[in-house]
Amino acid sequence: MSSTNAFTRRGFLTASAGAAGAITLSPLLAACGNSAGKGGASTKAGIQAVLPTFKPLAGGVTPDIPVVSGADGAMTNPGFVKYPTNLVKTVTGKVGSGGTYTAVAPSWNPIPPAGNAYYAAVNRALGANFTSQPANGNTYNTVIPPLIAANKLPDWLAIPGWLNPTFNTGGLVGTRLADLTPYLGGDAILEYPNLAAIPTGGWQCGVWNNRLYGIPSYTDGMDVAGAMLYRRDLLEAKGITPAVKTAADLMALGKEVNNPSGGVWAFDDNRVYLYQVFKVPIGSWYLDNGKVKSANEHPQLLECLDFCNQLAKAGLLHPDAVAGVKTSNPSRFNAGKVIIIGGGLGGWTASDAETGSAAKPGYRVGAFPVFSSDGSTPSIGLTSSSGWVSYLNKNLSPDRIKECLRIANYFAAPFGSYEYNLINFGVEGADYTMGPDGPVRTTEGSNTAADNVYNFFSSAQAQVYNAGYPDITKDLEAWYADAAKYAYKPLFWNLNITVPDQYSKIAAGTELDDAATAVSTGKQPLSYYQEALATWKSSGGDALATWYQQNVADKGLS
Amino acid sequence: MAVMAEGPAVPEEARPKSEAPSRERRSQKGTEPIPADRRRLNFRARLRRDRSLIIMITPVVLLLLVFNYLPMFGTVSAFEYYDPIYGFFHSNFIGFKNFTDLFGDANFWHAFQNTLVLSLVQLVLYFPIPIFLAILLNTVISTKLRSFIQAVVYLPHFFSWVLVITIFNQMLGGAGLLNQFLRRHHMATWNIMSNGGMFKYLITFQAVWKEAGWGIIVFLAALAAIDPALYESAAVDGASRWRRTWHITLPGMRGMIVLMLVLRLGNALNVGFEQMLLQRQAVGPQHAEVLDTFAYYYGIGNGNFGYGAAAGLFKGVISLILIYAANKAAHRLGEDGLYRK
Repeated sequence: MSSTNAFTRRGFLTASAGAAGAITLSPLLAACGNSAGKGGASTKAGIQAVLPTFKPLAGGVTPDIPVVSGADGAMTNPGFVKYPTNLVKTVTGKVGSGGTYTAVAPSWNPIPPAGNAYYAAVNRALGANFTSQPANGNTYNTVIPPLIAANKLPDWLAIPGWLNPTFNTGGLVGTRLADLTPYLGGDAILEYPNLAAIPTGGWQCGVWNNRLYGIPSYTDGMDVAGAMLYRRDLLEAKGITPAVKTAADLMALGKEVNNPSGGVWAFDDNRVYLYQVFKVPIGSWYLDNGKVKSANEHPQLLECLDFCNQLAKAGLLHPDAVAGVKTSNPSRFNAGKVIIIGGGLGGWTASDAETGSAAKPGYRVGAFPVFSSDGSTPSIGLTSSSGWVSYLNKNLSPDRIKECLRIANYFAAPFGSYEYNLINFGVEGADYTMGPDGPVRTTEGSNTAADNVYNFFSSAQAQVYNAGYPDITKDLEAWYADAAKYAYKPLFWNLNITVPDQYSKIAAGTELDDAATAVSTGKQPLSYYQEALATWKSSGGDALATWYQQNVADKGLS
Repeated sequence: MAVMAEGPAVPEEARPKSEAPSRERRSQKGTEPIPADRRRLNFRARLRRDRSLIIMITPVVLLLLVFNYLPMFGTVSAFEYYDPIYGFFHSNFIGFKNFTDLFGDANFWHAFQNTLVLSLVQLVLYFPIPIFLAILLNTVISTKLRSFIQAVVYLPHFFSWVLVITIFNQMLGGAGLLNQFLRRHHMATWNIMSNGGMFKYLITFQAVWKEAGWGIIVFLAALAAIDPALYESAAVDGASRWRRTWHITLPGMRGMIVLMLVLRLGNALNVGFEQMLLQRQAVGPQHAEVLDTFAYYYGIGNGNFGYGAAAGLFKGVISLILIYAANKAAHRLGEDGLYRK
């Protein structure tokens, strides 16, 4: 019922970006305002022309679990079982030239006091006066628009992908935010080796109207909506080794473990995470014989809703999930009241294990390898490579932009580097001490360095590391390596599209999401969704599809 | 867009009689309603005389201006594709497009219908309860017991809706105390919290649980103003308890009841935003979507501020008509309503 900030950064990132993308919009989609009034997107050739050259960093730390390449360009993230002991230096020479910059990014932690020792240490390393002003992440959507309206944007601004429609990023680029193409496009990026090592998909999220504007953070080699997770410890205690290969298997397992009189139910509301199982196209649109159609009307979506409805009708859903009650810390899953839950993989972390172990020692999460409802070869759609992109102010001079990019290069130092350690943990002794599982924050460090605020301006490709829980890293990497084989890029993948004003309400599809929830929680029959869909299509959904057809697909932009 | 919050109502009887002569007295004597001395004073003299009162009222007027009147200019966004980047002045002006869309939106009319039904149910089932409670409490003679009961019934008012609904869910929800008890004893369960048909009664019950105790304050004040001599004379004349309640207590409260009813009608389209927001998913929007949640989900929730503002403006206009009509009706019935005619 109350929403708390139990998300870790990474958890929040993947969970919300993934789920939001899966439910209604691609997180990159932007409703637009005045100047960009007509809407549109970049062309394929235009994107290729401005994308930076990808060059893996030479001499970085070797991961314990190497990157695995899968289908359609999917790559797993590097995994680390232990924290590297020999830290490498990836940035040599002077970084800043004494410039002063203010930068704004969202924060879901208590805001550290200004001018603290950790900030000072980072500034010394940068050779610049970089003032980060973290703003409350929960109200970020309302904090930034007044700055935009008053034309008081900071020098450097982080915009989460799902806020592009709210901030009208499509209208800001070029008018308020600097074009970085001359500095980073093509081989120009090689001047900044850490930035050049960010996978190309991330940079694509920063391209608007055929120019490169944004610097990606937390870029994934393959980001997906999530997976079906289960309580491995509880199933093992019952002697069950799940082998779920079809939707029917899933339901059978659910019936086996469901125990309402004991206060334990099989499932939470898993609708959006079952889309993958039923092969509902990820994102909002798909091509049907060359025709753009809304994923809302895909036949498999109806199959999926019908299945969810059956689960609910069979009494396999926790009543609080049916009632839409949200709990966290511990969640119903953490507390063992739900056995199987769909979730973003960003939530499968050491901190989740700590919460779960506090509720029940021996807590362990498992994920069903990707499967399909009918047992055919499964598929899993990729979501956008980066949910976080930062932008520089257009008023900065070229020299200052270059200084900022050198700073961004510093922030993008990979895991296992000296720079990464400073940015993420601060100064050894003051902010953290080295324990057997890696850095352990001191009280001072928890108050200041734990905020990770610099990572929102630029960061290296995401990696998997869970201090004290190497098993999580191994399980997660194994799941990804398997899933990568079935990856596909959906229509309009990583494409920033600006939709004209008149479609913004219909694009949000609130009524469809409501109807789908009502069906999947068993409150309404499938026909209820079909009626809502018919209304949605006739009141603008079809017109929106036609707009996409004419302005994006037919122009070869996808 | 509340036209009027449940206002601080000063009981009629508490006002000094000399300042506000009643209509009856005016008609009897046939004199000017405005005291003669007030007309003679010029503006400056009156300013000097009322100085302290004006200073006291200034902060409230300023607050009202800043938080109630200034934002009204924001309703211009109801006629725009409002975009925060461009602000009120530079967003695309689209005339009545938001309104034509709104009136063609079945979900909007559904929310409107839900609002009216919930409001009516609350009016019938909720409104009389504080009056009954006040009369009951008034019959308790022991001051200690009275204060104790008052403290107990006031307390839930200070709980937030999140807390109240969580408590209800823990007690009556599908995995709550009641249903787990029923399950363990192999009886049929009854999930009240996500039962759409029951929803209007459930939320009224929640409102009664939380607010009815607090609502008795104004009625207690009205009761305190009734002259005890009336009861004594009636008792001497042999009037039973019922007759005394019917002929003395209720007429004594009538002005206050009508005032609260007028205010309530002006607020008829406010059926509890937070309460609905928190339970919207439990029963689904087909039962819990009201105008406020509609404006929130379809307007604020997905950045279509203009559309949400249009829904809010529509609600404000209806509320204004309702409160005007209720006030007119009160005057027709010879009551004061919001102000003395």
